[in-house]
Amino acid sequence: MNIIGPDKLIWGVEDLAAAKQFAVDYGLTPQNEHYYSALDGTGIEIRAKDDKSLPAGLTTGSMLRKTVYGVKDQATLDAIKAEFTDREVKVLADGSLELVDDMGFVLGFQITIRTTNTEKAERVNAPGDVNREINQPGVTKTDVPRVQSLSHVVYFVPDSVIAEAFFANRLGFVTTDRFTGVGPFMRPAATQDHHTIFFIQAPAFMQGCEHFTFHMAGPTDVVQAGTNMVNKGYQSFWGPGRHLFGSNWFWYFKSPFGCNMEYDADMDQHDESWQGREAMIGPDNSQAFLLQYREKWAPGPGGPKP
Amino acid sequence: MVQSLKLTMNKILLGVIDDFAEEQAKGFDLNHSGSDTFFIVRSKNKLFAYKDSCPHYGDTTLPWKRHHYLNNVAEYIVCAAHGALFQIENGKCIQGPCLGQKLTKVPIEISEQNEIWIDQTIIKEFNL
Ligand code: FES
Ligand SMILES: [Fe+2]
Repeated sequence: MNIIGPDKLIWGVEDLAAAKQFAVDYGLTPQNEHYYSALDGTGIEIRAKDDKSLPAGLTTGSMLRKTVYGVKDQATLDAIKAEFTDREVKVLADGSLELVDDMGFVLGFQITIRTTNTEKAERVNAPGDVNREINQPGVTKTDVPRVQSLSHVVYFVPDSVIAEAFFANRLGFVTTDRFTGVGPFMRPAATQDHHTIFFIQAPAFMQGCEHFTFHMAGPTDVVQAGTNMVNKGYQSFWGPGRHLFGSNWFWYFKSPFGCNMEYDADMDQHDESWQGREAMIGPDNSQAFLLQYREKWAPGPGGPKP
Repeated sequence: MVQSLKLTMNKILLGVIDDFAEEQAKGFDLNHSGSDTFFIVRSKNKLFAYKDSCPHYGDTTLPWKRHHYLNNVAEYIVCAAHGALFQIENGKCIQGPCLGQKLTKVPIEISEQNEIWIDQTIIKEFNL
């Protein structure tokens, strides 16, 4: 099935003003009262938790109310509708589909809203392999990191085997790598991103979103955007660092969405020839390295000193 | 006289009750580590102090922004990493990954002049 990846996450939050301010400070652009988007049009819809337009929430208190996937075309929507004869598939006014998955999460499917409106990946120069235009500084003080595209969602699920089977057998997702006893990293058929979902096996009372993230143009933008967040008073949860599975750079921040909100960049790309790996989860296998923020500093008391 | 002087030397003044509005919280970073190590909540005219450490993993802090320890309606203490809710009076987690576990209570003292003090031995013992 030609599913591309998450187009939109729909939230029912407790503190609407805080969540909207956080989204703007993170780098998303308000498109209307509810929708905050990245450069390519993907994004998050932020509503109050008692907003009548929202699908029912989980009993665990998770604020994530719906994950909407972007698909390639109407034929894919038709195929999804035909696949799920075992449950109700709503066709909403905008033509999108809505159904509940085997874990109880509400999923939506729509012809993707994502555009190709993203920036070039960060260009890196190395001896004999120059990728940045001549006379083009790699970083300046006035650079504004721009959020490119909704990347992935990580879910706490009560049964990661059932969750994986649902996405593999019913929706055509492929498992790229796996943490033993925890869960799989999966990518839909129409993207080469290492993962758009990762499942974490957890007790039923934890079911919900562990974190969600947007792609940035490169590691410099991850660290710059994260630094901007710290300077605005937001609190880091984990990072900056670089994961092993997926090779994506990361920096996670706690958020008013009841889960962490991450920046990521430079994720591995895979096709059918990729052989999935498996490892035990833990600090050593979760990241290649982990750094920690420090306030700007330079040798010498603010002036030239030998 | 000597006794009271000694006591003062062993304690650190954290502020006065009036520094806290009703249903408000505040984090403290006594060692200037860059991250708050404990916080005080004023609720229903009482003060409650807890380590700023979520029992989910045991070594990460709670708020998404400094001093934002309470939910919107100031009914619960919140860990913003995964939305855990804790009762203000006893620190017990009633929703979220650390369900049933408790925040670590930090002993503080309120003087007759409404000053809030913490003992040096507590700071050491709780690694604040
Ligand atoms: S770290 Fe606090 S709820 Fe997960
Ligand atoms: Fe991630």
